[in-house]
Amino acid sequence: MDEATQTVRAAIQQSLAAALPDHQALDWDVALSATAGLDSIQIMNLVMEIEDHLDVSVPVDVLADAHTLNELAAQLEKLVGDAAT
Amino acid sequence: MSLFDKFDPLVQSRRALDFDGPAPVATPFEDIASPTRGTVAGQEVILAGTNNYLGLTFHPEVIQRATEALETLGSGTTGSRMANGSYADHGELECDLAQAFNWPSAMVFSTGYQANVGVLSSIVGPGETLLIDADSHASIYDGCRMSKAQTITFRHNDVANLDRKLARLGDDAKRTLVVVEGLYSMLGDQPPLADFVEVKNRHGAWLLVDEAHSFGVFGHHGLGLTEHFGLLDEVDFIVGTFSKSLAGIGGFCVSPHPEAELMRLASRPYIFTASPSPAVIAGTRAALKLLTSGQDLRRQLHKNMTRLYSAASDLGYTLGSDQPGPVAALILPDKATALAHWQQLLAQGVYANLMIPPATPAGLCLLRLSLSAAHTDEDIDAIIHALSALKSERTQAISA
Repeated sequence: MDEATQTVRAAIQQSLAAALPDHQALDWDVALSATAGLDSIQIMNLVMEIEDHLDVSVPVDVLADAHTLNELAAQLEKLVGDAAT
Repeated sequence: MSLFDKFDPLVQSRRALDFDGPAPVATPFEDIASPTRGTVAGQEVILAGTNNYLGLTFHPEVIQRATEALETLGSGTTGSRMANGSYADHGELECDLAQAFNWPSAMVFSTGYQANVGVLSSIVGPGETLLIDADSHASIYDGCRMSKAQTITFRHNDVANLDRKLARLGDDAKRTLVVVEGLYSMLGDQPPLADFVEVKNRHGAWLLVDEAHSFGVFGHHGLGLTEHFGLLDEVDFIVGTFSKSLAGIGGFCVSPHPEAELMRLASRPYIFTASPSPAVIAGTRAALKLLTSGQDLRRQLHKNMTRLYSAASDLGYTLGSDQPGPVAALILPDKATALAHWQQLLAQGVYANLMIPPATPAGLCLLRLSLSAAHTDEDIDAIIHALSALKSERTQAISA
């Protein structure tokens, strides 16, 4: 696992604890909305926490393409990489 | 497998609100007798869940102008503004709006929803950015999606969060439109507009204020929160609706930039839809004249707002905003309590709005009361009395 991946995964875990304390044990391959039952507001709150941790802004369409935490992590790694270059 | 399977979660959510008695969602009204009286399930109720902030839906001048237009110009234009749907009154209403703001550009849209979608989707495009408050109305989100611009949300009413996100954009902030609302319809709260203006100016960004719920309510001439704070020289676009204080249906965008008129050539929601009917336009012109020409309606509305906010607070309710406004949102602990409040208030002759997740911010369960200049002192007494009875009934139930 490279540094960027570790940073993103740590940010997601810390943000889960802050924004969705009841979902810290969430399976990272489970669909956030369809399976885990999170509504759009809960997901947005989670992402805003992640933004603060990583100092990036996540466009709304990135969220639409990320259905699971692992997919979100992959998108965030790209954003963090883009911000660093 | 059916195309309709995807609606199952919505059907389940809707079924959770099924019970004997009037539906809290899409409540059917058998009659509307005045801006403040309607009939639900055979019972006359005080309407405290509309957006009729100035109570102009039955005003004699509005009715007369709309009736004259209906009789002389017919029931509909049957066409787009770009084709056969631009009658003299459509242009005159745009002139009225431009003059009210003393700005060179005003465009009329067929609904308030279309105004936001039509402006955002044409003013901002690929390679540019929309920075919108996270609690924005669905029409703002849909306009962003249609624009194909990068869309980023900032935390609701959070100036520092907007500042950080504009800073991250660097020079691209100058090609960014910040979007806020003059009053948020769920919680009834207002933005720190002067602070937002300072931040967007510092980064060279543009600003659109959606005054859908604040037009007619705030400002010396009723032009909205931007006028109220003396910030009309600081914004680039103001979007509004005819379906609240102006008591009709439709929307508008006004701008100090003459180039905003170019949207007429590019805005698909403006081009590819029929224009508002002559009666709607004529009624709206009459309502706009009433809205901008005097203070009496606003004075009565503000009196009502202050009374209800104060009484609800004294009764121990938590409100969505500490600044009195035309929307008083009572924050309730859960869906069941909110539904019980809605039912019991209706039983006491007061119609309000039940608002529950996911339509609400922060997953809150709300009973939303909205006020009108047409509410009399006695109407406000009755609403407060109903809330008071509800509070003591529930306190007794909890004690028992």
